[in-house]
Amino acid sequence: MNPFENVIFLAAAMATVAGFYIQAQEFIRSMIRGQLIQSIIIAGIVFILAYLESSPDLVILGILVLVLRGYLVTALLERRIPGNESYVYEKGIGVASHIIMDLVFIILATFIVFSLVFSGIHFSISGGIAGSTIIVFPLAIFFQGLFLIGSRNTTFSQIMGYVEEENALVLFALFIIPVPLIIETSVFLDVLALVVISSIVVMEKFSHEPMEELRG
Amino acid sequence: MHIIPFIIIATPIIASLFFRWNVKSVSLISGFIEMALSTLLYFQMPFHGIFYVDFTEWIFLMMVSSIYTVSVFYSIYYMKDIESRGISEEMYFVLMNLFTASMLFSLLMNNYGFMWVGIEATTISSALLIIAEKNDISLEAAWRYIILVSAGVTFAFISIILIYYNFHTLNVYDVIHSGSQGGLIIRVIVSIALVGFGTKTGVFPVHTWLPDAHSEAPPPVSAMFSGVLLPVALYVLYRIYQIAPYPQLYTWFAVISIAAASIFLANQRKYKRMFAYSTMENMNVALLGLALGGVGVTGALLVLVTHSFAKSASFFSSGNILKSTGSKDMDHVRGIWKGMPYTSTALLLSSFAVTGAPPFGVFIGEFIILYRLATVNMIQFALVLFFLMAAFIGINQNVTSMVFNGTSDHKESGWQMPAIALACAVISLLLGIVFLGGYFNALL
Amino acid sequence: MIGAMVNVMDQYLETLLMTLTQFLFVLLAAPLFSGILTRLKSMVESRKGPSIFQPYRDIWKLLHKETVFPNNSGTIFRYGPYAIMGIYSLISLIVPILVPVPIFFTASADFLGGAILFSLAAFIKLAAALESGSNFMTMGAVRALSFNFLSEGTLITVFFAVSLITGTNNPYVTNSFLSSNPIQGISLEHIFATLAFLMLFFYETGKLPLESSGLMEMGMIEEGMNYEYSGKLLAINRWSSHIKQYILGSILLNVFLFPWFLQSSFPWYILDIPIMFLKWMLLIFIVLVIETSLAKMRLFRIQDYLATAFAFSILFLIFGVVVG
Repeated sequence: MNPFENVIFLAAAMATVAGFYIQAQEFIRSMIRGQLIQSIIIAGIVFILAYLESSPDLVILGILVLVLRGYLVTALLERRIPGNESYVYEKGIGVASHIIMDLVFIILATFIVFSLVFSGIHFSISGGIAGSTIIVFPLAIFFQGLFLIGSRNTTFSQIMGYVEEENALVLFALFIIPVPLIIETSVFLDVLALVVISSIVVMEKFSHEPMEELRG
Repeated sequence: MHIIPFIIIATPIIASLFFRWNVKSVSLISGFIEMALSTLLYFQMPFHGIFYVDFTEWIFLMMVSSIYTVSVFYSIYYMKDIESRGISEEMYFVLMNLFTASMLFSLLMNNYGFMWVGIEATTISSALLIIAEKNDISLEAAWRYIILVSAGVTFAFISIILIYYNFHTLNVYDVIHSGSQGGLIIRVIVSIALVGFGTKTGVFPVHTWLPDAHSEAPPPVSAMFSGVLLPVALYVLYRIYQIAPYPQLYTWFAVISIAAASIFLANQRKYKRMFAYSTMENMNVALLGLALGGVGVTGALLVLVTHSFAKSASFFSSGNILKSTGSKDMDHVRGIWKGMPYTSTALLLSSFAVTGAPPFGVFIGEFIILYRLATVNMIQFALVLFFLMAAFIGINQNVTSMVFNGTSDHKESGWQMPAIALACAVISLLLGIVFLGGYFNALL
Repeated sequence: MIGAMVNVMDQYLETLLMTLTQFLFVLLAAPLFSGILTRLKSMVESRKGPSIFQPYRDIWKLLHKETVFPNNSGTIFRYGPYAIMGIYSLISLIVPILVPVPIFFTASADFLGGAILFSLAAFIKLAAALESGSNFMTMGAVRALSFNFLSEGTLITVFFAVSLITGTNNPYVTNSFLSSNPIQGISLEHIFATLAFLMLFFYETGKLPLESSGLMEMGMIEEGMNYEYSGKLLAINRWSSHIKQYILGSILLNVFLFPWFLQSSFPWYILDIPIMFLKWMLLIFIVLVIETSLAKMRLFRIQDYLATAFAFSILFLIFGVVVG
C-alpha cells in the first residue's frame, strides 16, 4: 500500500462524509458550502491521480472540477438564496433520524449493488490502486445524493442531491477509467446548465409537497 | 464526409438565433428543412463515422423532424393567447428548437457519451417548456421532471463509463459490432441502462414524472414529449441493448410497465393524464418489441411511428378542448361532438390509433410483437394481451363519453388547430394502411 | 525443578506487582487528571482556578459528611454506587490502560465484555436514579436514556472496528499490533472509529459542547443522576466518574489514538506511569481546545451529535469489513 493510495482512500472517505454533512444540514448556505467542500476533495483526488499517472488530461479535469463545480455551481446557487434572509433553512428536519435512515439506506443500497453487481467484476483501478473496493465510495456518494433528493422538500436540497450524484460519477469514472475529456467537459456543462435551469425554478417555488392534482 | 447530419443538427440552432426576428416562421421553415434533409439522408445511409445512420435511426430521425414541424405549427396558434406565461413566446420557440436540436444530436452521434449528453440536454432544454403555461401545478410538474429524470439519467452514466471501461471506445458502431457475447459486466451495463434511460422512457417504477409533465405542459410540448422525446430515449436504450441483448430482464420490465400503465390509466380523471399513461403503455410495447428482436423490431418501429403522429393528434385535440372548455377534467367535458366536430373526429381517430385498433399502424405493430412474443413466452403474451385490451376499453370508453355523452355548446377556436390535429390523426391512419399494403405485397 | 518453580513464582510475583500497580494507579490517579484539566481550563480562561488536587479534597470532604436519603428511595439507589465502583474497578483490570501486557483478571472479559460492563454500570446508574423518588434524578435518567441508545451502539461498534483490525477481540493484541505497525498501514475504519470514540469520550465524560458541569445547569445529564446523592455515596459516585473518564481516555489513547511507547518488561513497566501522564497531556490538550472553543449544544442536539458518531463508526466499519 503506497502512501498515495492511503491518501486517496481517506479523501474518498472524506467526500462521503461531506455527503453526510450535506444531508444533516438544515441551512441552505451550509449545504452549498458542503457541496463546495466535496467538490474540492474530488478535485484533490483528481490532482493526485494526475500526478501518479502524469496525465495532463487529468490536470485539466481537476481544474474543470474546481472551476465548474467548486466555483460556478456554488456561486450560482448562493446567489439564489434570498438576500434578505441568508439564514433561510428547511424546517422540520430531525438530524439524528435523517443520519440514521441515510446510513441504513446507503449501506443497504451500496451492498446490494456492490455485492450483486460489482463484486464479480475485478476492476483495474487507475493510479495503481490495489483495492477495487474503492468504488464503494462513489457508489455510497451516489446513493447519498439519491437519498437527499428523496428525503428533502426544498428545491435547493434536491439540486444538491443531484450535484452530489454527479460528483459521485466523476469519482467513479476517475477510479475505473477516466472517460474522454471532451465528454467529461460536456457532462460538466450539462450539469451547469441544469443547475441554471433549476435555479429558475428555485425562484418560483421554494419547496415541494405532494399535490392533489398530480396524484396517481 | 457526410455534411447533411451537421446541417440537420445545426438548422434548429440557427433558427433559435432569430430570437428577435419572427422566430415563429423561422422555426416552421426550419421544421420543413429538417424533414427535407432527413428524407435526403435516406439515399446516403447506412454510414458511420462521426455520425451513425442506419434504417432504424432514420425512422427516428423522420419522426423527430415531422413531429417537430407539426408541433411548431400548432404552437404558433396555441401559444398566441396564453394568460400567465412562465416564459415569453419567443423564448418558447427558441427552447423548442434547442430541444429538437438536442434530440437530433443524441440520435445522430456515433458515441455513447455524446448520446448521454444529448439526452441530458433534452431535459435542460425542455424543462422550461413545461412552465410555458405557468401556475403552481406546472411548476411542480416541471420540477419533478427535472429532478427525477436527471437523477435517473445520471445513473445511466455509470453504464456509459462501464462501456468505455470494457471496450475502450465509445463508438456506437464499433461497440455493437464488436461481437460481444455478454458476460457479467455487459449484463451490468445493459441493466443499469434500463433503469437509467428507462426513467426517461417511462419504465414502471421510475415513470412517475411522466404523467405530471405530460398533463401540465402545453399540448404541443406534450406531443413532442410523448411523440419523440420518449422514443429518442428508447433509441439510446436500444443502442446499449444491442451490445448484448438481455431479453429476460427487458421483456419482464416492459410487461410489468404495460400492466402498471393500464391499471393507472383506468383511474385517471384528466384526459391529458390518461393519454400520458397511454404513452407509457405504447413505449413499453415498443420496448418489448425491441427487446424481442427479429421481427419485433419492425413491430416496435411501426408502433413508434404511428404512435408519434396519433399521440400528437390526441394532445392537439386535447389542447383544442382545453382551449374551448377551460377544463382538464374529463367529467367537465361532455358531448363536444356537436360544437367541435373536427376536434372530436381527431380525438376519436387518435384514441383508436393509440390503443391499437385496426387498421392503424399501432395495431399492426402490436400484432407483430405479440405474434413474436407468443413464440417466446406464453405467460407474458397472455398478460400483455389482457392489459392491452384493458387499456383499449379504458381509453375508448372515456373518450367516447367525452365526445358523445350529453350536450354542450363549446365551439372550435379557429380552424387551424383542429385541422392540424385531424391531419396528424389521418397520417397515422394512412401509415397503417400503407404499411399493411406493403406488407401484404411483400407476402404475395 | 526448583529453578522452574522459582521462575514461575517470579512471574507470578511480577504479574501481581503489575496488577497492583495498575489497579492502584487507576484508583488513585484518576481524579488527578480531572484536576489538571480543570486547572488548565481556568488558566486558558484567564482565571486562577482550583488546585489540581481539588478533586481529592472534594472526595475527602464528602466522605466526612452525613449521608441522607430521600424518603422514597429504594435499595438500588442506596447500593448502586458501590456496584458501579466495583464494575469500573474490574474494567480497570481488563483493558490496557497502563501496562500493555495481560495481568490478573484480564481474562475475565474481552473487548466486547468491557463494553458490556460499561453498559451495565450505566444501567445500574439509571436504575438507581429511577429509584431515587426524585423528579430531578428521573429527569436526568430520562435524558440519559434518550441519548444512550446511540452512545451504547457506538461504543460497541468502535470496539468491533478495532478488534477487526487484528481479527481478535483482545485489546492487548490490538495495542501491540498498532504500536508495532507503521502509521501508513492505518486503515480507514481505524481512523473513523477513533473519531467516533473521541466524540463518544466527550459525551460519556460530560464535556462541552455536550454538557457543562455544575448543578444549576438545566441541561445536565450525568450530574442530574447525582442530584439526590450526598455524603459518602456522592463521593463514591464522583470517584467512579473520575475512574470512568480515566479508563475511557486511556483506551482512546492506547488502542485508538496513540498506542506507542508503553513498556512491558518487568522493572521498566513502572515507566508507564510517567508515559501515561504525558499521553494524557495530549488528550487533555485536545479536550481543552475543544472545550474552550465550542459553545454548549442545545439538549436535543446531542442526539444529532451521537448519531454522527454512530454513522462514523458503523459506515466505514462495514465498508472496510464486508466489502473489503
